[in-house]
Parts: sequence; structure tokens; C-alpha cells
Amino acid sequence: MKAVVWHGKHNVQVDRVPDPQILNPRDAIIRVTLSGICGSDLHLYNGIVPTMKEGDILGHEFMGVVVELGSGVTNFSKGDRVVVPFPISCGDCWYCKQGLWSLCDNSNPNSFMLEKLYGDTGAGIFGYSHLYGGYAGGQAEYVRVPYADVGLHKVPEELSDEQVLFLTDIFPTGYQAAENCSIRDGDTVAVWGCGPVGLLAMKSAQHLGATNVIGIDRFPERLEMAKRHCDAEVINYEEQDVAEVLHHMTGGRGPDACIDAVGTEAHGSGMEAAYDMVKQTLRLESDRPIALRQLIRACRKGGTVSIPGVYSGFVDKMPMGAVFAKGLTLRAGQTHVHRYLDPLLKLIAQGAIDTSFIITHRMALEEAPAGYRLFNEKKDGCIKIVLNPRLASGASA
Amino acid sequence: MELTEAVPRIGAGRKNRKVNVGHTERNASLMGGAALAITGIKALAGRRLLPGLAMMVAGGMFLYRGKTGYCGLYEAMGVDTSGPAPGGVLIETFVTINRTPQQVYEFWRNLENLPSFMRHLESVKVTGENTSLWKARGPAGVPVEWDAEMVADYPGQLILWHSIGEAALPNEGTVEFREAPGDRGTEVKVSIRYYPPGGAPGKAAAKLTHAVTGAQIEEDLKRLKQILETGETATAERTNNHERP
Repeated sequence: MKAVVWHGKHNVQVDRVPDPQILNPRDAIIRVTLSGICGSDLHLYNGIVPTMKEGDILGHEFMGVVVELGSGVTNFSKGDRVVVPFPISCGDCWYCKQGLWSLCDNSNPNSFMLEKLYGDTGAGIFGYSHLYGGYAGGQAEYVRVPYADVGLHKVPEELSDEQVLFLTDIFPTGYQAAENCSIRDGDTVAVWGCGPVGLLAMKSAQHLGATNVIGIDRFPERLEMAKRHCDAEVINYEEQDVAEVLHHMTGGRGPDACIDAVGTEAHGSGMEAAYDMVKQTLRLESDRPIALRQLIRACRKGGTVSIPGVYSGFVDKMPMGAVFAKGLTLRAGQTHVHRYLDPLLKLIAQGAIDTSFIITHRMALEEAPAGYRLFNEKKDGCIKIVLNPRLASGASA
Repeated sequence: MELTEAVPRIGAGRKNRKVNVGHTERNASLMGGAALAITGIKALAGRRLLPGLAMMVAGGMFLYRGKTGYCGLYEAMGVDTSGPAPGGVLIETFVTINRTPQQVYEFWRNLENLPSFMRHLESVKVTGENTSLWKARGPAGVPVEWDAEMVADYPGQLILWHSIGEAALPNEGTVEFREAPGDRGTEVKVSIRYYPPGGAPGKAAAKLTHAVTGAQIEEDLKRLKQILETGETATAERTNNHERP
């Protein structure tokens, strides 16, 4: 089959690789019909996440049709059209039973690596480095899905692939980020990063009752999308002083909740940004927490800082004093996608939230290398690329 | 059956578990550390700020290591040069499994299940009411065998065994099952102590001891947890061809 394969920093190629096989009773094989390139894939592309190996298949946002089932999977049939949550979760351990699916105890065969780094392991993730299990990803024609009895979710025929694809990651991720803000009537929620997760966090925050939503970015097309589709007020951090504008917009209080939809590769301006860039390049600091520092300073007293953006190691100069003095609540973590599938699918089916507006580029699987480059350089107004294995190369829209 | 304190507990012997640096190395650390620190101070006095500081920090680390016998770097790397304690080599590992103590006990009590999660074991065969024959994967495919006897068996609580006769690798072990609080399943504690043989005849067995490390037993227990909780062991392989043995 064809698959998008990581060959090194800034080097992904479409290779021919062996088809996946059923290895365990609870496995399924899916023929992929649509697969997204996620902002977090760019951390792999840019070589920020350690333990990637040449030959690794990328992709953790994918859906398709069941073509093969292990003997232990009885609640699905061949031909079922399904979405697949990006965390691989067993459904049996204490964490899965608590609904903390992305903290699954059993699904990461390389758990010792994360234990060394963090003290304990999280769930395995499709196509996301050997730290997260070394599983082959879904930017491919076929993919093996472990624990398929809990790792697949049927979608109704009347909804298109593009309407439901983002249930696999970014919609639940934006939604969980908003849910973590414990939004109350009258709340203002500020979202750093108007990429796909940020945009869907804004939509979710509104759905959960936020009175005002503010989007912060530097790309005009993203700010425009936040304004047009998410009814957000926007701040371009390259043109305005974020802290000051937020201060003015909230009567001097600061936003009630702040969402970091940027993560480890934040950009900024001035000395602080240069400091983090140098330290990350020299591997003296593994993450660049420029946005996070801003969030903490801007958030109102007693407010919540919600972090769906990915961090993987150590950060410098965390304003812990501000966290303490202002009594902030910090919430973070990978998304427990499984728990949001039913409720969010309902919202899509009812037409309450449409997530397909973020797609700016539709490409054939073969065009993935160009897609990664485009997305990384934020060229051509690129916000979200979806890859279709059935699309002929060059026919992209 | 009530579990009494009279039941011997493996692991009570070696108290100072924080020592992971050998004797000679500790003395060398003390001397080298002091020298480094002094050179560092001299460098500072000579206004060579950065090298001076670096030497003082490194010197301090070595001094601490020599004084306490503990090296954080070694621990992070999983290195232990302190050697076997007089009572053999002790390995202790823990895991919490989302099943009842009785369920975990029953799986373990069927000793022939052990090779399904213990990678260094090829087979365990029950040979009598309390005896069994253990076969381990030795170096270069040469199997290492020994007979074992169960010396205590408290259903749902504890199993204790030791090797008997002329074992190539004399060993003993306990596994304890305790109910975790608040429906968190069962806390399993495994203690294995083995006595590395000396001399040429023990060579194969001595090599085997490299396969029996805390990290490996920990991986074994994770597989046990996976089997009991999910019914299978997790793998990220793509095809059967790549499947590990």
C-alpha cells in the first residue's frame, strides 16, 4: 500500500510499504477514505518530538471503512463506515473505565520510555513517535486499529467524510479545551492560536455558553476565519500588545479563561521569543512556552488556563508566581476522544456545529510532501489539509 | 487463610536501596570530586567564571555520589555498580491490575501461565503437587533449567517459591496480591532473589542473570496486566513477519 512515511526532519515521502495485518484478536484493518494533517504532525515534521524513526508512517486523524476484523471484535462488521479516535485505548484499565481514555495503561508498548520521562505513561497514539508506542499512522491506504471494539465509532451514511473526520481529534480536542474552562454565563474566553483546534475551541466555548470569544494569532486568514465562522473578536499579536488589548476588552479584569491552542512551537516577537528559539535549538529547553506565559499573565484572578496545545518536555521561566498569586487553575492533557464521540456526533448531525469550514486544501495522498511543506510554511492560506487516498494526484482542489 | 507475620518476606534484608555506586568508585568519586571542586574555585578566583562554575557543580555531584553512594545519573540510566548484596540479587517490582486479587492470584497460581508474560521463561511445567520444572531461555539458545517448589500458598494473597536441588541459578520469589483502595483493582508485588553462581559451570546461568533485571520483570508485569485486563498483549508491529519472538 501507499503511505506517508517520515524520513527525517522536513522530509516526508509517499512510499510503498507492506499492508498491515491483524495481529491481535481485538484488531481491525480499516481502508482509509480521508485523513487529516494535524498541527501536531508539524511538531514531528520539524523534528521537535523525539524518538521518530525513519520509516514511521504518519497520521492520527483518519476515518474509513472496516475491511477486516479480528476474532474478538463482534460489535462491528466489514463495510462499516467508521471514525477512529487518535488515542489508542484498551477500554479495560482503570483509566479507560474512568473515562480518561488518553491515559490508557495498556496501549503503549513503549511505556517505559514515557515512564522515564514523565513518571508514567499515556495511551499509545497512531503515527506519533515511538514514545507513544510506535504505531503506524493513518495517512495511508490501510491502517491497523488495535482494541477496535472500543476504538471504532460508526458514522451515519447521510453525513459526509468531511463532516465527521474531525471527530477523530481536533473537534473533541477543541471541545475538551473549552469544557476544561468550566464556562459560566458572562464569561470571556480568549484563545491563543486560530488554527483548527483554536477555531473549534472557540465554537465549542460559544456552544458551552461563553458570552465573548477572543481569538489571537498573526495570520490574517486565520483571524478572518475566527471572525467569520466563530463570531470572535480578534487580536493580531504582531500588530497589537495582546495583554493590553485583552485588559481593555475585559474592563481590566482579564479573560475568565484562556486556552493555549499553540503549544510547544509558539512564535512571538522580541527578546523573549529569541531567547526560547535559541534555547530550543540548542536543546537546552525542549518547548517554547511563549503563548503559555502570556496566557498566565493575561488570565483573570481565579480563572482557568486550559492547555490543549502539545508540550513534550521542559519549559523555562514559567510564571509560577502569577499562577499562585492569581489562584489560577491549570488544565491540560491529551484528549479523551472516545468520551466525546457520541455527544459531538449528535451536535454535527443536528447541524448545531459544523467543523468542515476549516478545510482549506483537499489533496491526494501522493501530494502529502507538498502538503506538509505548505502547512508548515502557512502558505496559500493553508489552515487544514485533508488527504484522500482515492483522489488522483493533481486533481486536488 | 490468615496471613501472619511469620511468613518470610523477601526484600526485608537489603535496607539501603539507594546505594547504586560500588565501593572503589565511591572513594574515587570522593577524591575526584574534591579535586574538581577545588580546581573550580581556583578557576573562579582566576576570573574564569563559566569553567569554574561547571567544575564546582560537577565536583559537588561527585562528592555527593561518593559520600552517599547514590548517583542520580546512574539511576536515570538504570545503572547499578554496587553489586549483589550478600543475600543474592533482589528484584522488586510493583503493578496495579484492574482485576480482583483472586483473579490475579488464580492466573499466577496456574504456573504454566507464567511464560505467557515472562519473556525470559520458555516453559513452566507442573511436576507434582508443589513442584514444577522451569525452563529459561539461556544465552545462544542453550536452555537453563531448574526445579522449583512452592513453599507457601495463600489463595488470593501470596505465593512463595524457591528453587530446589542442583539449580543452575538458585532463586526464590514471592508474589503478593493486595486489594487496592477504592476499586482500583489489585496491587501486585513481585520479589525475586537469585544467587549468581561462580565458576565456569555457572557461566550460562550467569549470563541469564543479565536477562533478569528489574526493568525486564517490570515489562513482564505490564504484559501480565495487559493479558488480564485486555485479553491480549499490546504490539505496534505492522505485520507478523516483524513480530518479536
